[in-house]
Amino acid sequence: MPDRPTPLTSPLTSPLTVGLVGSGLMAHAHAPAWRALGADLVVHSLDGAPELAAAHSGRVARTLDELLDVADVVDVATPTSTHLDVAAAALTAGRHVLCEKPLARTASDAAALLGAARAADRQLYPGHVVRYFPEYAVLRGAVRAGDVGTPAVLRFARGGAFPAWSPWFADEAQSGGIVLDLMIHDLDVARWVAGEITSVFATRRSVVADGAPHALAHVVLTHAGGAISHVRGSWGASHTTFATSFHVAGDYGVLRFDSADAGGVRTDLAAVASGGQERPEPAAGESPYLTEIREVARAFTSSSAALPDDHPQHPRVSAVDGVIAVELAEAALASVASGAPVALDTAARVRGLGGTPEPPSGATLAVVDRTSAGSPA
Amino acid sequence: MNGLRVAVLSFAHEHAASYISLLHDRTDVELLTADPDFATAPADELRGRGFAARHGAAYVETYEEALAWGPDAVVICAENARHRDLVLAAAEVGAHVLCEKPLATRVEDAEAMVAACDAAGVVLMTAYPVRFSPEFATLRALVESGALGVVLGGTGTNNGKLPAGRSWFTDPELSGGGALADHVVHVADLLDALLGEEAVAVRAVTNRIVHGDDPRVRAETGGLVSITYAGGAEVTVDCSWSVPDGAPTWGGLTLQVVGTGGVVEIDPFGAHVGGVVAGGAEQAWLGLGENLDALMLEHFLGCVRTGSTPGPDGRAGLRSLRVVAAAQESVAAGGAVVRLTPSSAR
Repeated sequence: MPDRPTPLTSPLTSPLTVGLVGSGLMAHAHAPAWRALGADLVVHSLDGAPELAAAHSGRVARTLDELLDVADVVDVATPTSTHLDVAAAALTAGRHVLCEKPLARTASDAAALLGAARAADRQLYPGHVVRYFPEYAVLRGAVRAGDVGTPAVLRFARGGAFPAWSPWFADEAQSGGIVLDLMIHDLDVARWVAGEITSVFATRRSVVADGAPHALAHVVLTHAGGAISHVRGSWGASHTTFATSFHVAGDYGVLRFDSADAGGVRTDLAAVASGGQERPEPAAGESPYLTEIREVARAFTSSSAALPDDHPQHPRVSAVDGVIAVELAEAALASVASGAPVALDTAARVRGLGGTPEPPSGATLAVVDRTSAGSPA
Repeated sequence: MNGLRVAVLSFAHEHAASYISLLHDRTDVELLTADPDFATAPADELRGRGFAARHGAAYVETYEEALAWGPDAVVICAENARHRDLVLAAAEVGAHVLCEKPLATRVEDAEAMVAACDAAGVVLMTAYPVRFSPEFATLRALVESGALGVVLGGTGTNNGKLPAGRSWFTDPELSGGGALADHVVHVADLLDALLGEEAVAVRAVTNRIVHGDDPRVRAETGGLVSITYAGGAEVTVDCSWSVPDGAPTWGGLTLQVVGTGGVVEIDPFGAHVGGVVAGGAEQAWLGLGENLDALMLEHFLGCVRTGSTPGPDGRAGLRSLRVVAAAQESVAAGGAVVRLTPSSAR
């Protein structure tokens, strides 16, 4: 994939009408980003659409067909198990689609969705928003530039409270559980940073305590270039602060990040009195959702047809990446079920899906002159 | 208080310097040292009489002389593969034993060491200093009080620089392996103490990317070990020698435990004053906190005086070594899962 294009600094040149399907957490994260780019919103959801539309000056579509009639492009932010049906309907109707991750509930559904996009010659992008969080984008860029040399041992962690805000998360049949819903972010990022994958091993423990579900899972990936990655996910007690971290060690250096110690604004203020004025959210730079949707909007508006992966306006994540991420999660779930590692070959699979494999870690890194490189002091 | 006679046997492990210094400063200990295997080490590694002189310790040329002195206890800092013979010799003369980790390079050696010390009625302790960190005590109290609820599992890291001061660390014949042998045992011991149960399944993958072009390195430098405990806890350990040579500190150890009551993470070597010194040429890392070697020696000498069983005893050393052996077996089998049957070693 090409280098990042320069950010779109002005709003969309012609207003885009976005059909937003769903009204959950992700729909609420996407709506303000579309609006910030000047798009018009049409919302369809089984419930909650009027409130979401009203909050973002949008309209409500009573049916999916009504939404498809008026939308230029479609943003699918529904529960995972419905992604295939909704997104395929939009693609078949000739609309480009941004589909929240995971691309589909199963790998075969994800591949079917990719097939639908190809058949319709329309753009389909999975919402792997972690690739747009600056710490992960910086990590990928630095590793590709050779800053840590050849990646060797990587750790990625992500966790928070068990997602109790919507009942479908706890239903593995609908959500795929912690591996497919949460850890897919880092499975995708590990591949993005350290290259294609040849083996997946996973363990998971789920416990219900006082009626509340808890889950912890570990995935160990072996990359084609020899690197090994640990991906940890946890959904815990309701008080748990959401946190992410990574630690990437190579033969020339180490890069690390921990959201619990990430600078920015730290406050220690008294609680807001009842009826008092809420305090502003801490400044944290641009929302990664806005970065993501700007990049996707640019692709959508650049062509009415599908874009090749190497097109300069192609977003940093492709539908093939989305299919592979679901396949990695499914391999991890198969490993949990069997207790044994699962061999796979994502490089061959990417080629089979018509994509371009990530280079093996270290093999195509920028050549670093280690004698004259700046002192890493 | 009667003075205890303590002999430090071998200076192969650089921890010998720390133990000698701490024992030397104690008024309740008479110290003697011996390092007859110094001739097998490279000439540029300070060993033998010169090492003893630098640290102000009395020195004899042979283990026989040291053991004939009638020590109450010995501290064994030999190369890992040479632990067994020295432990058996010490047990034979009735000396209590503190042995560097890992307890041995092979499970059968560790079993023989435990059996010999049992038969001789002497204490055998494995040198796991992190067990004595106040951070671990807090973690343990939080688990034992029920504050963490049901433990789902955890993540341990023990990352360090390539052990460079002593070449035997990277010689599998003497060390028993690479990063797996060196760094899994500390975390495995903490989990053993925390959970009070044994590993039932182990799976490991390794590589030799970091320091891959260093001819001294003959074993893995990177490793991820997945461990399932009898009660269902799922753990992953990163044991890699992945800290760059130029880093401001040797490395560290962390353990994050996830329970139904929340998450607790300890970083016993993390407290420090940081900054930039030497006109910008160096990062500062001024470590804070307890001297864990001192706390460990205090515990050991107390056990020597009372005959009580030490916190990390020989059986604890054996159990954590079983995890390492299973990890090595898994790597040899291409990452297959190795099932362990619970031992009687508890």
